[in-house]
Parts: sequence; C-alpha cells; structure tokens
Amino acid sequence: MKTSILGIFEEEDSLISALKKIRDKNIEITEVFTPYPIHEVFKIMKRKSKLQTAAFFYALYGLVVSYGYVYYTSVISYPLTYGGKPYHAIPSFIIICFVTTICSAIFFSVVTFFIRARLYPGKKPNIVDLRITDNAFVILINTQPEMTLSDIKTINSLLMKNGAVEVIEK
Amino acid sequence: MYDANIRGTLIKGNKTYHQITEDICRPLETSPNYWWYIALFLSFGALSIGTWSLYMTFNEGLGTWGLNNTVSWGYSIINFVWWIGIGHAGTAFSIFLLILGQKWRTSINRAAEAMTVVAVFCAGIFPIIHMGRPNIAFFVFPYPNDRGPLWINFNSALTWDVAAIPTYLMASAMFFYIGMIPDLATVRDRTTSKVKKAIFGFFSFGWVGSSKDWLRFETLSWILAGLMAALVVSVHSIVAMDFASSILPGWHTTIFPPYFVVGAILSGFSMVLTIMIIIRKIYKLQDYITDSHINAICKILVFISLIMGMAYGTEIFVTWYSGNEYEMFTFFHNRITGDYNSAFWIMVTSNAIIPQLFWFKKIRGKLLIVFLISIIINIGMWFERYVIVVTSLSKDLLPSNWADYTPTNVEVGLFIGTLGFFVMCLLLFFKYLPMIAISEVKGVLKSSKIKN
Repeated sequence: MKTSILGIFEEEDSLISALKKIRDKNIEITEVFTPYPIHEVFKIMKRKSKLQTAAFFYALYGLVVSYGYVYYTSVISYPLTYGGKPYHAIPSFIIICFVTTICSAIFFSVVTFFIRARLYPGKKPNIVDLRITDNAFVILINTQPEMTLSDIKTINSLLMKNGAVEVIEK
Repeated sequence: MYDANIRGTLIKGNKTYHQITEDICRPLETSPNYWWYIALFLSFGALSIGTWSLYMTFNEGLGTWGLNNTVSWGYSIINFVWWIGIGHAGTAFSIFLLILGQKWRTSINRAAEAMTVVAVFCAGIFPIIHMGRPNIAFFVFPYPNDRGPLWINFNSALTWDVAAIPTYLMASAMFFYIGMIPDLATVRDRTTSKVKKAIFGFFSFGWVGSSKDWLRFETLSWILAGLMAALVVSVHSIVAMDFASSILPGWHTTIFPPYFVVGAILSGFSMVLTIMIIIRKIYKLQDYITDSHINAICKILVFISLIMGMAYGTEIFVTWYSGNEYEMFTFFHNRITGDYNSAFWIMVTSNAIIPQLFWFKKIRGKLLIVFLISIIINIGMWFERYVIVVTSLSKDLLPSNWADYTPTNVEVGLFIGTLGFFVMCLLLFFKYLPMIAISEVKGVLKSSKIKN
C-alpha cells in the first residue's frame, strides 16, 4: 500500500498557488521541501518557531551567571584593589558580562536548534527526493487510512492541475 | 513600497536553479587549475617560514624578537589587530547586510565568512605566542587554581579580549558552518563519489530542506545576526580599549573604539573586494559576482574611508585643541614629521586619500585598479596599526625611556606564516566547499528575474 504522495514543482510561484488550493480543499499537507527558505510556505504551513524566546532566556542566563561569577570572584572570594577601583567595579564588569551574555545566547541557541531540528553529524538523511537540494519544490501528503482511491486521485489531479511537473506515489 | 532599482541585476545570465547548483559546485567537482597548485605551493612556503619562526620563538624565547623594555608590543600586536580587523568584514558583511535586507550580499557572504574565521584564527595566534610561554596560556582564563582563590583581573582590557576574541571566533565559525549545512546537503545529493557522499553526508547533518527545518534555520540566522552585530562592534571596541585604557600619549583617547571599528570594517571590506575579484576572475563567476556587486563594495569603501579620514583629522585637531604637550609631541613631532612620518603618511594616503578615487564611476568599473586599491587599503591599514603601536611606545612620557624598534626576521617570518596559512585555508575552501551560498542565491533569483 502506498502511503504518500509527492507533488514535484519547478517554480516557487506554482508551488505556492498549489499549496493554497490544497489548503482550501482541507487536505492535510504533511510537509513541504524546498531548496531555499520561502516565507509564504511558512505562513501556509502555519510554522512558528519559539527559538527567539529561548534565545532571550539564554541571554538572561548568561548575564546573571557571568555577573554573579565576576561579583563572586572580585568581591567575595578574593577582594583585591586594582588601580584604586572599588571591588564592585560595575563599569569594568559591563564588558565581560555583555560578551558572555552574547556568548551564552549564541551557543545555547545553536545547541537548541540542532536538538529541536534533530540534526547531528552523520545523520542519515531521510530525503524524499534527491532533487530537493537542487531545484525541486516538493509537497508531501501522507495518505490517511480513511482515504478512498478517488480521494487520492483527486489529490493527484489537484497537484498536476496546479503546476506539478511530476506526481509520485510512494 | 517604492523599490529603487539601484543594484541592477543580482544574478546575470537568466539562470535556472539547477544551473546555479552546477555553476557553484563546478570547482568542487573538477580538478583545479595550475594557478591553484602554484598558489598552494607558495602558501606552503610561507607557512614553512612561519613554522620556522614559531620554532625559533618557542625554542629560544622572545629574545629572538626585536622588542625591548620600551617597545614591548611590536609586530605581533600590530598583526593581531590587523587580522582581527580583516576578520570583521565577513561578519559585518553577512550580518549588517542581512539585517538591512540587502539581497546582493548572497553572492559574497560565504567567502567573506570563511575569510573571517581564518583571519580571526590567525589573529588569535599572536597574543598566545606573545606571552612567551604558550604552554601556560590557559592562565588567562578564570579557573579555581592552586594559587589560592586568586582570580584574573576582570578590570583589565586584556581580560576583556580573552572573553571577546574566543566568543567571536566561536560565533563566526558557527554562523559560517550553519549557513553552509544546506549547501553541503546539495553537494551530498549530487555527487556520485562514494567517499564524497559519505563525507558530505556526515557534515550535512542529515539536512532534507523541510519547511520546519528552514524556519528554524532562518530564525537561528536572525538570532545569530542580531547578536553578532553587537558582538562585531564590541570586539574591536575592546581591542581598541587595550590601547585606550592606558595612559600613553596617542593611545589615551576616547575616539579609539569607534575609530578601530570603522578601521576594521575598512580593511575587512577591502579584503573581501580583493578575494571577490580573484574568485570572479579565476572561477568565472561573473554572473554571480557582477560589476554591480563590485560597484556596491567600492561605494561602501568610499564612505568608510571618509569616516577614517574624519577620525585621523579629529585626532590631530583634538591634540592641537587640548594643548597637551605630550600629545602634541606624539602627533606633530613623532607621527607627522618625526622618525615614523613615512608610516604615518602611508597610512593617511592609503586609507583616507586613495579610496576617494572610488568616487569616479570609471575607476569603479576598472577591475585591475579596484583590485590594486583594495590591496593598497590593506597595506595602509597595517601601517595604521604600526603607527599606533610603535610611535606611542617608542617615545613615551619619559625621554630616558625612549628606544627604537626594528622587527627581526623571526617576527617578519611569523607574519608571513600567518599570510601563508590564510591563503592556504582559502584555497582549500575554494576547492572543497561551495564558495557561494547556493541556497541563498537561489532565494534571490526570483526577485532578480522580476527586475530583468
């Protein structure tokens, strides 16, 4: 039993118009694969990322930890006067804390990206069509058990009518 | 919104997506020209000179350098600042232009980022070897140790550098690599060689180009861009504070941080220009790196060069206006007319005067002249750091302290070594990695066609 339908497009515009029409017919689109990021696709697929919120908290974490650390070392653990400055020399601490805040936000955001996207070195790519990384825009629709043959045919013809150059059932 | 067509066509030749992949992957799939081997051979030669110098430095110590008690910072700090400056361009290019929504960056950002990573690495070598005992270089990091609870001095600008430079290296390397993952997947999916498929498969992290992945990828790019924009400015400001937080005449100025940041962008952009002209010519990528790209970089250089001229002028004016006799001596008798006047005038001519030639469209259109000017700017920027480091140190507040500085062969050898390393890494990058961001160029193809 074939479980998925791939609609292959060669142009961004035809992909977008096909996506809109399929969405209007209330057919569930499993995933869209493209050679480059397309904002319209994100909108249609209702994709949202919370990475920026996470990055804010990573930055906050970096700030608090680095300030706490610099405060602990310079004021509590070994107070030593440098150049007549107070132990708690806020202007000097700002720079270290600024840089470590950025460092923390960048490092943890990247780690989160890899974990959330489940990308890691040596991962076997589960790619539906090798042309995706070259010039193909692919709509993947997984067939549901309740779908009849005519439903599948409708999806096929819908894809073909809207500019797909090829429809593959897998 | 009014869309001013000032950039011209971004990608020439009415390309298809497949053609873009073919064109950019070609250098990876064909054997390089004879020039590539010659350049690699020369870079190995330079690297061997550097290795010999490094051996001399480690084996015999810093006595092999021309430093003395007065001029305690010489070639290595000049080179450190110069390389960091060059390392600013890649990030500045990718990030500022990404934030500003400039689509023309797509053909150039990859090579600029590669250049950044290598340049920052070259820069990082110098402070470590300057310590004289690189095996205990980790002392600069704060860690609980057996000297009691004694920590490093967080009030020192040199410690700020320790935080800033590794962060910058890490961030630029991550930005460069993550941006390249989709392109590595492209190479993985088109190669027929099993070995290449395995290698690119390993490094492309299983990328499949789904909308979920692309959204996260884009979001991460924006997060990194936003954070690194602040980082770029802060890193070179911190390098400037290594100088500005001292009390030496010529260093003790508030203008230093912005002046260094602008200088870094000037030298970095001119290095981008040099490399782009070479790539364009040798790999025949004129359709991607078009005349309008070169034109745009030249225009940016005119603008930055004007700021540099303004900074040079401001320094001199403030010196005169302050009436401080030590500052007056440093600027008027040491730099402008004294022992180091040739270095000073090379600096002013190369960084503030010669780039003004880019005002003329005819000059911007002549690649050879543009190429030469880009090299002149880089030489000028090296001299700027020479003027700053050596003139102020050699004649400080106490005349009995005064001493001259002449670099030794070992110091020059180290500089040549890093140049060799830089060229070697770039050559390997041209051969083994996609030198233009394939997916990003494809992303701007549609808007480029609309313009057509």
